[in-house]
Amino acid sequence: MHPEKQTHAFEPKIIAFVCTWCTYAGADLAGTSRMQYPSNVRVLKFPCTGRIDPVFILKAFQQGADGVLVSGCHPGDCHYIAGNFHARRRFAVFRKLLEFIGVDLNRLQFSWVSAAEGGKWVEVVTDLTERVRAMGPMTEFKELAMEEQWSGAINTPELQEAYNSI
Amino acid sequence: MTPIDTSIYAAITDAIQTEAGRILSEGQVTAVVGYAAARRKGSAQPIVISNPDDAQKLIFTAACVNNLAVYLTKAKKEIPKTGKIGIVVKGCDLKALSGLMGESQLKREDLYLIGVPCAGVLGSTVQPATELTTGTIAAKCTECDAHLPTGCDFVPNQTPITPELEQKYAVEIARLEALTPAERWAYWQEQFSKCIKCYACRQVCPFCFCEQCLCDRNKPQMVETTPRPAGNTAWHIVRAMHLAGRCAGCAECERVCPMDIPLNLLNRKMAKELKELYDHEASFEVLDKGPLTMFTDKDDQSFIK
Repeated sequence: MHPEKQTHAFEPKIIAFVCTWCTYAGADLAGTSRMQYPSNVRVLKFPCTGRIDPVFILKAFQQGADGVLVSGCHPGDCHYIAGNFHARRRFAVFRKLLEFIGVDLNRLQFSWVSAAEGGKWVEVVTDLTERVRAMGPMTEFKELAMEEQWSGAINTPELQEAYNSI
Repeated sequence: MTPIDTSIYAAITDAIQTEAGRILSEGQVTAVVGYAAARRKGSAQPIVISNPDDAQKLIFTAACVNNLAVYLTKAKKEIPKTGKIGIVVKGCDLKALSGLMGESQLKREDLYLIGVPCAGVLGSTVQPATELTTGTIAAKCTECDAHLPTGCDFVPNQTPITPELEQKYAVEIARLEALTPAERWAYWQEQFSKCIKCYACRQVCPFCFCEQCLCDRNKPQMVETTPRPAGNTAWHIVRAMHLAGRCAGCAECERVCPMDIPLNLLNRKMAKELKELYDHEASFEVLDKGPLTMFTDKDDQSFIK
């Protein structure tokens, strides 16, 4: 029944910020229709794409996401009438900022997936997962989070020795 | 290094003193926010005067770099409460005030605007007594399109002579855009790693008037507050994002930064993108809605699947 499960050396973590009215229902439809899509995606449900703050995307990258997907209702279909229009402008600007800071935009995907588009959800998630898999892990933000405080860097032999003796 | 003509500043100083004295003695305003000479030779500092006799203290020179609009925001509550306020504004400062009026932080009828025809001010790293030249002028002044403020209650009748200068930010943005993402990341990490999280940029910004900053919240903590790489990067991204479409380009953030992080470069980049995407520019016009609080159904969505 199920196709042979492929194994990969690297399984990317994909965080999906979705709106509850369209994309979440779309993902639900994909599930109830028994469509197969990568289990790499972690879905986080929000009331609306307008609720998704760009800081969430930063936080996701810092906490170890390799790719981020933001998905909501098609323009004109918003349950709150205009939330996705506001989100569209905000993210258009935010991705330009990330690009300028030096983040590869291939790791960040925006999409409109309606409640009836289970197939499109599968396609979007599969595309992003395979693309990020080919790119390898996102290290930039993770390394920052791991880095020690600048004043505490072990930069002298004496400090290194003291550190080793702990 | 060609000198820039600042001979009109003496006449402007006289005009500001007369006007401030007049509106204070006539009771049109309760206070005037302006510039006064500071202790170091040639330097200037902000001053709030409420006595007509103090009008003689007001000056305008190339060292009058501050954006005084910050004294009228919510963050500095005590000044606006006292009544109608006179304020000395350069073109860039007036853009900030227009932005604040658009965001319902200030009312035009509560202000008496004394506009300054400005040929440029000194950069943040030069001594205040230095002569204004193409080398010592502030980077923001090389891209200025607001030498002559309009819509003010009073503007001294002078015309600044403004030579065409190399646009410092535009050149730097073009240079960075030509790099690869990894090179840009390295460049910004080098800049952000200098940050000591003193929040001077936030303190001086007329648009950072939130009662509680998102970056100070700890439940949940969205941005790490310690001066570590992760928190620094997040702070500067969030700062640039929250100012996108609002920033007036007064470059005060960059001026006050003790670590010389090119903060206005991020702001200029965002301004450039907003101009391209939504044809929005900071101006003297008071807009009901900024570019990120409005939308049209024809906005670009080529990046959305």
